[in-house]
Amino acid sequence: MSAHNRGTELDLSWISKIQVNHPAVLRRAEQIQARRTVKKEWQAAWLLKAVTFIDLTTLSGDDTSSNIQRLCYKAKYPIREDLLKALNMHDKGITTAAVCVYPARVCDAVKALKAAGCNIPVASVAAGFPAGQTHLKTRLEEIRLAVEDGATEIDVVINRSLVLTGQWEGSDFIKTSTGKETVNATFPVAIVMLRAIRDFFWKTGNKIGFKPAGGIRSAKDSLAWLSLVKEELGDEWLKPELFRIGASTLLSDIERQIYHHVTGRYAAYHDLPMS
Amino acid sequence: MAATRAGPRAREIFTSLEYGPVPESHACALAWLDTQDRCLGHYVNGKWLKPEHRNSVPCQDPITGENLASCLQAQAEDVAAAVEAARMAFKGWSAHPGVVRAQHLTRLAEVIQKHQRLLWTLESLVTGRAVREVRDGDVQLAQQLLHYHAIQASTQEEALAGWEPMGVIGLILPPTFSFLEMMWRICPALAVGCTVVALVPPASPAPLLLAQLAGELGPFPGILNVLSGPASLVPILASQPGIRKVAFCGAPEEGRALRRSLAGECAELGLALGTESLLLLTDTADVDSAVEGVVDAAWSDRGPGGLRLLIQESVWDEAMRRLQERMGRLRSGRGLDGAVDMGARGAAACDLVQRFVREAQSQGAQVFQAGDVPSERPFYPPTLVSNLPPASPCAQVEAPSLVGGPWRAEPPGHPLQVPWPVVVASPFRTAKEALLVANGTPRGGSASVWSERLGQALELGYGLQVGTVWINAHGLRDPSVPTGGCKESGCSWHGGPDGLYEYLRPSGTPARLSCLSKNLNYDTFGLAVPSTLPAGPEIGPSPAPPYGLFVGGRFQAPGARSSRPIRDSSGNLHGYVAEGGAKDIRGAVEAAHQAFPGWAGQSPGARAALLWALAAALERRKSTLASRLERQGAELKAAEAEVELSARRLRAWGARVQAQGHTLQVAGLRGPVLRLREPLGVLAVVCPDEWPLLAFVSLLAPALAYGNTVVMVPSAACPLLALEVCQDMATVFPAGLANVVTGDRDHLTRCLALHQDVQAMWYFGSAQGSQFVEWASAGNLKPVWASRGCPRAWDQEAEGAGPELGLRVARTKALWLPMGD
Repeated sequence: MSAHNRGTELDLSWISKIQVNHPAVLRRAEQIQARRTVKKEWQAAWLLKAVTFIDLTTLSGDDTSSNIQRLCYKAKYPIREDLLKALNMHDKGITTAAVCVYPARVCDAVKALKAAGCNIPVASVAAGFPAGQTHLKTRLEEIRLAVEDGATEIDVVINRSLVLTGQWEGSDFIKTSTGKETVNATFPVAIVMLRAIRDFFWKTGNKIGFKPAGGIRSAKDSLAWLSLVKEELGDEWLKPELFRIGASTLLSDIERQIYHHVTGRYAAYHDLPMS
Repeated sequence: MAATRAGPRAREIFTSLEYGPVPESHACALAWLDTQDRCLGHYVNGKWLKPEHRNSVPCQDPITGENLASCLQAQAEDVAAAVEAARMAFKGWSAHPGVVRAQHLTRLAEVIQKHQRLLWTLESLVTGRAVREVRDGDVQLAQQLLHYHAIQASTQEEALAGWEPMGVIGLILPPTFSFLEMMWRICPALAVGCTVVALVPPASPAPLLLAQLAGELGPFPGILNVLSGPASLVPILASQPGIRKVAFCGAPEEGRALRRSLAGECAELGLALGTESLLLLTDTADVDSAVEGVVDAAWSDRGPGGLRLLIQESVWDEAMRRLQERMGRLRSGRGLDGAVDMGARGAAACDLVQRFVREAQSQGAQVFQAGDVPSERPFYPPTLVSNLPPASPCAQVEAPSLVGGPWRAEPPGHPLQVPWPVVVASPFRTAKEALLVANGTPRGGSASVWSERLGQALELGYGLQVGTVWINAHGLRDPSVPTGGCKESGCSWHGGPDGLYEYLRPSGTPARLSCLSKNLNYDTFGLAVPSTLPAGPEIGPSPAPPYGLFVGGRFQAPGARSSRPIRDSSGNLHGYVAEGGAKDIRGAVEAAHQAFPGWAGQSPGARAALLWALAAALERRKSTLASRLERQGAELKAAEAEVELSARRLRAWGARVQAQGHTLQVAGLRGPVLRLREPLGVLAVVCPDEWPLLAFVSLLAPALAYGNTVVMVPSAACPLLALEVCQDMATVFPAGLANVVTGDRDHLTRCLALHQDVQAMWYFGSAQGSQFVEWASAGNLKPVWASRGCPRAWDQEAEGAGPELGLRVARTKALWLPMGD
């Protein structure tokens, strides 16, 4: 995590002055995906970079210590070693940015990561995830417990009833969605959020991170997200301290693409270890 | 594991996260060139035409300079052969029912779809434009254009009854154009039954490929013929006797020259000039989205030219910061790279922009350039020029050579076009000032308005004098939306219903013939007024006719303080009318301009009410009018009928104008596109000699109904009837709405035709006068309608009050209104 958001006086006139033209943002969203593509080595390198932004996530009701352990191992070894060697990237220490689990599974994750001998941070969705509609007191307690168990990053669902009535909250990172909605991370919404991050930086000097989550499943999607951040905010935001992708199945597709890049063949399901 | 294909650079890229090349293979384009043995001729009558002993020009990759093919240059005889092929094909093509043409156009769309990769790689390879724009934009739109116009063709018999195709169309395209510009024009022309000869600049293979694809479809080989040749062929093509209309797109000065050289010739002329666009950024705009609008307009290879950018002062700093930040992320490179925003457009375009920027810098302008751009020629970085006041010498080019002594045919200077990829930014304070600045140029192509306030956006959208306005978007196009311009951008249209009418003429009217008189001296035509002497006292039973020029709502003495006698049919003196001159025309045009904003702002209903009031007044004055017509030789019954018909015309146009303009629905756009019919401005009308009352009223009524104000020269033989009507107009109309100047017809015609602030001119008179009007209109490129000495049956509905008048009396504007919450 980068230095915390030092915050600023709440000035609602900033928000009221913001103009967003919806059809124009939709057009921009279409264009970004069409105008920037990467191929060959560039694609491979970008995909590996994308791996380092992933918050490898499992948020299922039936999570147990065994699949958490598997997830943590995959976080440590996201791409098959021989593929990385072929790309001469095996010594770069490529891991996902974090693992992200429910508060009750933080202990399992911390234990598993320790056993794997790595210091990948554990993120947790605390504070009444995914609706945020619980009392402030229990929300705070939930966060405290998760931190006590070893979580170093907390994804908080803000109280949207407060937002809709104009009472805002601050944060270090902003996230598009919980991943539990029918519509999750979309480009038009992301464009608006990224522009807000840039404006906030220009006004206060604080860099706020960005995390799209939900529905990002293909390697191609992840490349589009990288170029979106690169285009709207610039290279300085392309590091795990400021950019994360919340995803569970994305990693396996990236690994398949890397396999194809290295071998020239399309991988069978059993060619790559599951997470 | 299979052999590794990974390159060594992944490590570096992993750290730098730079973009890499995304090359699009152009092997199929080269293979197609090979089928022509790398030598491209012309495509005429369904066959390749490769005559011997022709000069050839190399077709080069604009970036590497590599020779791709050699292109034969057409000569006059090739042009004649192509026009003859098109003329022969016209007979069959136009005789088929619309559904047959519709099927053929649909088949062409399918062929394009099947060979689109060849088309886009060839186009991008040769023009240097970003392949993404050609592939995702142009090629798709080309197919949509064919489908849209196929539908129009299939309903032609009902929807366009009363119109017939003009004949062979000569299409002339400028050196830096996309094949799409050709599609915009050939689709409507072919749909309505015309055939086309397109003259494209040397080394433009994509139009030839299109012609080949169309020709190989079979039964109609000669409908689309493409020649490549130098600009010197333009007048040769334009003056071919078989050509009925010349559609020209290119630079304003070339258009002006062509307008002059085609004066009196057989072919009609449609001009689409200039490439510059305009963007208005207000302080309530979504600035980031507006910046993307600038990118779309000037730095994305979508638009052909540069951009004038007007930014409200209060958001100037914010907008400039965002623009500059955004420019830093633009990428330029080889057009066939799938991830570049801009390609390169060859050495000539590079020279042009270098000259412009150097000149701007020398005038004290600030120049900002950024982006990931190869440093070598012919690449040129995205450029933002600011602090260039409109009055600075850079904004003006040298005055073109002056023609004809004190009667200069040329205005003293034209602001320089902003070339691609330059954006010239300047500030404005209020929306009102923005309109003044935006409209303060001779250009009237396209503009976008960025504002989140609905009222302000519409106010600006309606107020801009351009052909297309996008609200909170830039550069959207659709086959069903008319695209065109006004003022010196030329007034031809493509797309939508307006695009079809470009290639149609009212059925049954006599063919337009050449009225060229080689001896006509433009310098002296109508220059001097023959002096007139008293012809004795006025006699007769009728009351003395009104005297004076009707200007600004009242009768005024002419500046020359002299009069001309008007004789009746038996040769006796009927009365004197004032001898108007240049100063009187100036005054009349000024009065019309003063009245224009108020009149154009009236609702059609309010305008109709005044026309109806005038009709009633004419009926009250019926006996006087009829007796004056009788003295001019009409039977009493016919005279009374003429008065009655005149009153009916006023009422009919008042009613007809209520239903003008409409809303279009466009694929892929949420929200409407409004097709507005706006008044032209000040319209000059020189009335025919015959039908002294009916023709005058038949021309006056539509002009006023659509919100124009007019300066009219009444029948030279008997202007007294028009002056009688003026007596009623003085009481019914606001001052200045209609101004009537009597005098020497040629002299007044000269003054009006050369007036830079008259927006359109209709001339019903001699062949020589028509030729002069067409020649002189090149000054401000006002649309002209000249009768060329052909009489018109003003008492017939089709010729006296037909849809042709309704078409010519107003101009179209397309107003795009995308919606979203």
